[in-house]
Amino acid sequence: MGLPLSVRALDVTSDRNRRLLSIPELEAPAGALIGVRGASGAGKSTLLYALAGLLERASGSVRWGDTDLLSLGPERRAAFRAGHIGMIFQDFLLFEELDALANASVTALFRKRSERAALRARSAERLTRLGLDAGVRSVASFSGGERQRVAIARAVAAEAPILLADEPTASLDRAAADRLIEDLVAMTRETGTTLVAVSHDLHLIERMDRVLTVSDGALSSHEVPA
Amino acid sequence: MSALWADLPVLTQDILWTLLLLLPALVVGILTLRGYAPWPLVRAILWRFRWPASMFVLLIAISVGMGIGLLAQERGLRRGTAQAADKFDLVVAAPGSELTAMFAAVYLQPSDMPLLPGEVYDEIAGHEDVSVAAPLAFGDSYGTAPMVGTTADFVRYLSEDRITGRMWQTSSEAVTGALVPLETGDHFTPAHGHGDAAEDDAHGDSELTVVGHMAPTGTPWDRAILVPVEAVWEVHGLANGHAPERAEQIGPPFDAAYFPGTPVIVTHSDELWANYALRSEFTRDAETMAFFPGTVLSNLFRVMGDVRQAMSLMALVTQILVAASVLLGLFILSRLFRRQIALLRALGAPARFVFAVVWSFGATLLLAGAALGLGTGLGAAALLSRAVTARTDILVSAPLGWSEIHFLAGFVSATLLLSLLPAAIVLRQPVVGGLRA
Repeated sequence: MGLPLSVRALDVTSDRNRRLLSIPELEAPAGALIGVRGASGAGKSTLLYALAGLLERASGSVRWGDTDLLSLGPERRAAFRAGHIGMIFQDFLLFEELDALANASVTALFRKRSERAALRARSAERLTRLGLDAGVRSVASFSGGERQRVAIARAVAAEAPILLADEPTASLDRAAADRLIEDLVAMTRETGTTLVAVSHDLHLIERMDRVLTVSDGALSSHEVPA
Repeated sequence: MSALWADLPVLTQDILWTLLLLLPALVVGILTLRGYAPWPLVRAILWRFRWPASMFVLLIAISVGMGIGLLAQERGLRRGTAQAADKFDLVVAAPGSELTAMFAAVYLQPSDMPLLPGEVYDEIAGHEDVSVAAPLAFGDSYGTAPMVGTTADFVRYLSEDRITGRMWQTSSEAVTGALVPLETGDHFTPAHGHGDAAEDDAHGDSELTVVGHMAPTGTPWDRAILVPVEAVWEVHGLANGHAPERAEQIGPPFDAAYFPGTPVIVTHSDELWANYALRSEFTRDAETMAFFPGTVLSNLFRVMGDVRQAMSLMALVTQILVAASVLLGLFILSRLFRRQIALLRALGAPARFVFAVVWSFGATLLLAGAALGLGTGLGAAALLSRAVTARTDILVSAPLGWSEIHFLAGFVSATLLLSLLPAAIVLRQPVVGGLRA
């Protein structure tokens, strides 16, 4: 089951104190699928990284369930991400020399020894479900669509209640992107995961429960797709 | 505490010292890697950057190999030269340079030395504590082999009686060292002098026959041709050490009146204490000097020891500098996998795990380089030993010793500690900047 999101007075500034993002208030229920769109450089990815607690120069509060991520130190934020947040990136960010299973279960490497086997098993199961062979083939030989499915398997293998996706279909052709959208939506719906997906892809955006538009570092509209 | 340490067997001290040197690296390794399994990622990163990584390993290996080769070679040379002097308990010569006399007697290096008269030889040979007193006569050669005139007793003593064929019986017979390319029955005419300056025809009318061969001794004497000292004197037109009525006699006793002189007398006593007494007895101002080649070598090594320590220190500093350069390279290399590091942080990896990945990457290169360097160093030392042996005939071998192990342990430990730095620096890089890199 996902976690609800509550953002209050979120301000993100650059190293030179230029304001990059300002969100007075944002609420999303647990299990919501939220699309974020906007022009390039508007602050979409910055919002996503702020929701993940990855930005150092962020103030206000980003509350996932009972946890205010911004009030935590870097190590506790990392621990929160490890336990609660799965992330997907535009260009997959895989370890090219590892096979699909090793990539999908990469977070097992820094988990407790007792949790590793279970995580690997779930990773294998997710890969199978996404139509991939865990095999021994390194992901360097995979197509873009296959790589992004490995990245999704990695993000959902830990059964994190939150999934943050940054342009997950941007590097894929239409067919691969559509298949990926189906898989992503189906899996998050099934598990009740809260999904925040930054994307220019209308096919993805229209599958979301709510769509936020970011413009010049601020939320300019907040709508529900037809 | 120091007394307790001193009471320990040398082997135990060496093992403990090695462990002590490795301890900082072991502690760091355990603290860094405890509870994590970063190896799949380290392997992946190593494979991705295999060419630059191989270059780093090679650089470290060359640096370590040079240090280890230097240490092993120096020790092998010291052992070889000391072993070559083993049979030369006490050398008596005319007053002058002990070093020159030692090089002439032990290592057969040609040199001009004043001669000791027959009376001195008689006195030494007749001493009750002396079991072997051998005059040595130099000056001739055959090919690259120096010809040395001496006594049959000394040849037996030097070769520990391991002679194939037989000992000479006349002044026209010779016994060769193990490496002399002459067979039993071969005849040869010695040249006067050595090397390029040798006069081949100076002794044109004298011919010697090889009748025996010494077993290898691992000393320059393996390349020498040994003849009765009478033969050397005779080919130079001198009296042969014996009165005319005993002109056919070979070996001692000699007649002082017919003794042309010898630059060096090598003595051996069955009792160790007697050597000290003999040294004292035959050390006389303006007449004779007696010395232990072992002591001269020891003094030489002591002087060289300071140089050796300086060289060891320089080798260590050089290697740490090389390692520091390599670590700087690692830091630069780590910029290439900055995105992967940022990804791990984004996925929630603890800082220590990321630290462990970067440190393990550097540590793997350092350990691989050190291991390869060990092999390279020993290989280089072995080749160098062969070359030195071929050039000097001193049997030099340079097997792995504790000083090399300590050197390696110190290097590994210091550089593994140093490699904490790039790991710490990588960790400080912003995650989002890394993801967008």
